[in-house]
Amino acid sequence: MKASGSLKLVAGVRDLQIVDCEDCNCGIVDDIELAGKPGAPLEVAALIVGPGGYSARLPGWAMRLVGWVAGRDAVKVPWDKVESVTSVVRLAVTAKETGLARAEARARRLLPGGG
Amino acid sequence: MKLSELALGVLTAVGGFVDVSELVFMSQAGSRFGYALIWVVVLSTVGIMVFGEMSGRVAAIAKQPVFNLMRNRLGLRLGLITLIASFVSNLITCAAEIGGVALVLQLLTGAPMRLMAVAATAAFIATVWFLPFKWIERTYGLLGLFMLVFGVALVAIHPPWGQIAGGLVPQVPRGLSTRDLVAFAYFAVALLSAVMFPYETYFYSSGGIEDEWGPKDLGINRLTTIVGFGLGSLLAIALLASAAQLFGPAGISPEMIGTVAMQAGVPFGKVGVLLALLGMLFAIGGAAIETCLANAYSLGQFFGWRWGRHRPPREAPRFTLSWILVFAGSLVIVLTGVEPVELAEYAVVASILVLPLTYLPLLLLAGDRTYMRVHANGLLSKTLGWGFYVLIVLAAIAALPLFLLTSGGQL
Repeated sequence: MKASGSLKLVAGVRDLQIVDCEDCNCGIVDDIELAGKPGAPLEVAALIVGPGGYSARLPGWAMRLVGWVAGRDAVKVPWDKVESVTSVVRLAVTAKETGLARAEARARRLLPGGG
Repeated sequence: MKLSELALGVLTAVGGFVDVSELVFMSQAGSRFGYALIWVVVLSTVGIMVFGEMSGRVAAIAKQPVFNLMRNRLGLRLGLITLIASFVSNLITCAAEIGGVALVLQLLTGAPMRLMAVAATAAFIATVWFLPFKWIERTYGLLGLFMLVFGVALVAIHPPWGQIAGGLVPQVPRGLSTRDLVAFAYFAVALLSAVMFPYETYFYSSGGIEDEWGPKDLGINRLTTIVGFGLGSLLAIALLASAAQLFGPAGISPEMIGTVAMQAGVPFGKVGVLLALLGMLFAIGGAAIETCLANAYSLGQFFGWRWGRHRPPREAPRFTLSWILVFAGSLVIVLTGVEPVELAEYAVVASILVLPLTYLPLLLLAGDRTYMRVHANGLLSKTLGWGFYVLIVLAAIAALPLFLLTSGGQL
């Protein structure tokens, strides 16, 4: 079956770089959350970012490895926060507002003088 | 772009071309097989020119780093396999480079090698933390030009230029025993891998993005890869040829880094050895930083983090933490006591195994008109790219059996 409509969108958006409104890289689209019910069209509800988003796309051993190394955290970015999709997914808000800056903040605390 | 900037870029590429694996393998290959493997160095240099140019072009036009585009293009699974494979290969390579620097420092100062490895790693971390990207590249690249002493030394020992020119013709020496034939094949594969290390293209293209290359920089990209890598390769050939002239007839196999420095010591005495050691120190040191950063770039690009040395370290914290941990991990490998030359051999084999995985996405992306528009691979780039791709796949298939059959070239 060839991808079309919303399925094509999912295939095109997944694994793209996410850039916030301040032009900062803030993750990769690791998975997509779809919403809908029988009889109604499926809609993209959110982008899922983080190891909890992509580990389910991996074989069992890799999923366990990712869980062990990177944990299972995932951040959901509502689709209405997306401004545009080109070769990157551009957000209309900052990474901080969506929760995508948390992992960088945790890493910063581990650096000398990172507080 | 100013002519001085252009010259500086090319000189940096020359000074940064040779690393510990090339030092070891060029000298051993020359000592054992004379000039018969020069053609492999030339062929591999054309290969790294082709893929280097492609990676710079992708950076300038697609404005996206290769590992980032790769995941979108090849998918998560194949992308993750490539990431893990190249990470392991770069980590071993980085350890080999740190070990090489420690050995050179030991020769220069007489201090214990492990202490020198710790000191060198601390110096590298400080360098990457404090110096801007361009300064890191240029400091090590330009000081690595002390390595030119090997080229001058070759001229000074009056080598048989006719025989060196004869080495440019693809050949397998006649009259070799089966054991020597297998060793010859192993060295051919090892030289290909040492010249075409995967970290080089990823570091180079990430550097292009750090420097905000655009279409106007395609000329400098072409010039740096062709002239810079070409001249760097001449330096590698000089190492091979002077080992063939000095060590081969005496039956010496240069398995120590100090022995390689003697190639400059024979014609120029202590000054020659000192210049050679200084050149090796900065060339190998630069490669240690490049391999380490290449790993941090790959991780940052694959997972979409903030990355790059154009930002202060605390503004790209996961990227910064990655390169610090890669340096630390490499140091731990060196401190286990594995000989740096042995590490260089593992690095070369690991690299050739992952080369097909790391160069495939680059080849696909550089040919993709969606990303590259009119700058996508033309007929020449496509032919050369796929031609070399077939070659590295064959070399990757042969590498492990040859390594085991020859006990890493010892037979």
